[in-house]
Amino acid sequence: MVNTKIKNLFIFCSTLTGVLLLYYFFIYNNQPAISAKEQNYEIEVTDFRGKTIGFNKPVERIVCLIESALTGLYMLEANDLVVGVSTNIYDSSVFDYYAKIDPKIKNKEIPAYGNWDFVNIESVISLQPDLVIMWASQVEAINALESRGIPVYGVMLHSFEDVYKEIRDFGILTGKNERAEYLVEYSKNQISELKKLQKNIDKKKSVYFMWAQGPLETSGRSSTVNELITLAGAKNACIYPDEHITVNLEKVIEWNPDVILMWYNKKLNSNDILKLSGWRNINAVKNNAVFELPSVFLSDLWTLKFPFAIQFLMKSAYPQLQHEINLQYEKQKIFRYLYNHNPEEIIEK
Amino acid sequence: MRNKRTLLFFMFALPLPLILLSLCVGPSQLIDFQKSIIYIFNFLTGSTSSVQDETIIQTIIFDVRLPRVLMAFIAGGTLAVSGAGLQAIFRNPLVSPYILGLSSGAAFGAAFSLAFGFLVVQASAFLFGVIAVVFSYLAAMRHKEVSVVSLILAGIIVSGIFTALLTVVQFLSDPFKLQTIVHWTMGNLHNTGWQSVNTTFIPAAIGVIVLFFMRWKLNVLSLGDDEARTSGLNPTYGKLIVLIAVTLASSAVVSSVGIIGLYGLIVPHMVRMMIGPDNKVAIPVNFLFGGMFLLVIDNFSRTVASFEIPIGIFTMLLGAPFFLYLMKKSKIGWG
Repeated sequence: MVNTKIKNLFIFCSTLTGVLLLYYFFIYNNQPAISAKEQNYEIEVTDFRGKTIGFNKPVERIVCLIESALTGLYMLEANDLVVGVSTNIYDSSVFDYYAKIDPKIKNKEIPAYGNWDFVNIESVISLQPDLVIMWASQVEAINALESRGIPVYGVMLHSFEDVYKEIRDFGILTGKNERAEYLVEYSKNQISELKKLQKNIDKKKSVYFMWAQGPLETSGRSSTVNELITLAGAKNACIYPDEHITVNLEKVIEWNPDVILMWYNKKLNSNDILKLSGWRNINAVKNNAVFELPSVFLSDLWTLKFPFAIQFLMKSAYPQLQHEINLQYEKQKIFRYLYNHNPEEIIEK
Repeated sequence: MRNKRTLLFFMFALPLPLILLSLCVGPSQLIDFQKSIIYIFNFLTGSTSSVQDETIIQTIIFDVRLPRVLMAFIAGGTLAVSGAGLQAIFRNPLVSPYILGLSSGAAFGAAFSLAFGFLVVQASAFLFGVIAVVFSYLAAMRHKEVSVVSLILAGIIVSGIFTALLTVVQFLSDPFKLQTIVHWTMGNLHNTGWQSVNTTFIPAAIGVIVLFFMRWKLNVLSLGDDEARTSGLNPTYGKLIVLIAVTLASSAVVSSVGIIGLYGLIVPHMVRMMIGPDNKVAIPVNFLFGGMFLLVIDNFSRTVASFEIPIGIFTMLLGAPFFLYLMKKSKIGWG
């Protein structure tokens, strides 16, 4: 009996040792060395994770898995450096615009190997990119790429200053610093011009922002939406600090906003909001002041196109500015100055 | 009998060729199936390779595909063995490694880490997976005895608690983090690298080896507590050892690849239908068949589209009809 127990214990220990040896020789030894050698690079930027990435020359092959960042690269006229994009470029409402700007997108020649966390790592590696741009929150996918020696620039935007930083960093990485500075200055000048117009505003209106996910999904005081509202000479009705929050209808009634600004919504339009039960006593609904941003592409708050959304809100919220802001003209300026492209080829008349 | 022997022969002979074949499957246009075979053959025979883009091909095969293939095999095998072990000690064919709250605990741990930066995702998922099982066990314990029914009920309650906590974390997360959390719970192998194989291998191996050495005792435990005592086996300790081994191995796997739905429930049944209920044979076969089956599913998952599709979806879409087919053909249960 004792002998059998000793024999079993011996077999168990031998098996365990065998497995451990197998692990040591075949798995542990296969791990890439993590010895990150300190180097001095010609080009260095720190991304939104606080991680510094460096190169000795401007990057030549970029896989960009964020639509708003891709717009940044197109504004920098770095189209030719893009060797991979996210899948949603080809199937979302932004495709028509990109197709008109870049024939390679129109002909679907740039490969798309995933979205969000479902990035096909093998396919991305096979594109042999110098740099991959993706959301900083995609920690697992970032680890998977970085552990294979592919530099990743992680993006996380909380303010318009972050949008400026992003475009400047892309300018440094692609060797297009001058163009980046021009773009940032152009946007800042636009904001200054809009601030001048606000002298005609005597009382700030309160604005409730409504995301496309549902009428009660909004953004609080620490968000790009809050900046949009503030820069438009209004104040955010939502008093909470959150970037994105679902609120109670009672709270919206209590805040009683003067204006409701809807993100571009495929399911609802402003008339639907006017008919919602429970909303009828809110000032914005009573006064028919519910407005929907015209398109995701033009109103994108994570790109230098954000002044367009500000202009839209100013024009909608303050009737006295009706004649001061010409949205059709502003649309043309976006393509002429930001994309350096003839607007006639893109905007339908 | 002869059929069974042939089946067993294939179960033991197929894994290595399948692993090698899986290394040749992938979405990359740079290296097609034929090119992969030539490259691997040259590598195995030590011949000089004259393939273009050799460095990138080497990275794809040894740094991307190999860890993923190994992880698919380890994860599939471990979940299947764990399911078989638990079904034996609980004497219940509806039990899976997730029954004691492991998956909900791990999902909460991963979500908590992704939302608030607590620990690294894998460590947090592992920790909360283990906490959930321990909590279920302690909740079910009365007078130092744990009955099967109370353990399963405690597991359902603990699962519910962690699912509620997961919902709270999801509710508090911004859309970016929420998206990542939801994707994690779908089960995926596409981010697998050597690092995750490295952290999963040891706990999974220890758990599987313990279950392998317990395979005789599992037969006795599956007869009931009184029968186990008559055979000179302490059922409380026997079950506890199996539970610890299953928790260790499954938590390690779930923390690395997320929740692969119903896998630990379906595969033990498939094996039982193919070779019978004897755990002496069923435990190693569960590991080999479970590993191979998940590997085949993952091969589909990574080649069917240019982007990644969560493997959890494929285990359900491919595994469930196969399971239903076997169920129709043979009698589901213990015999």
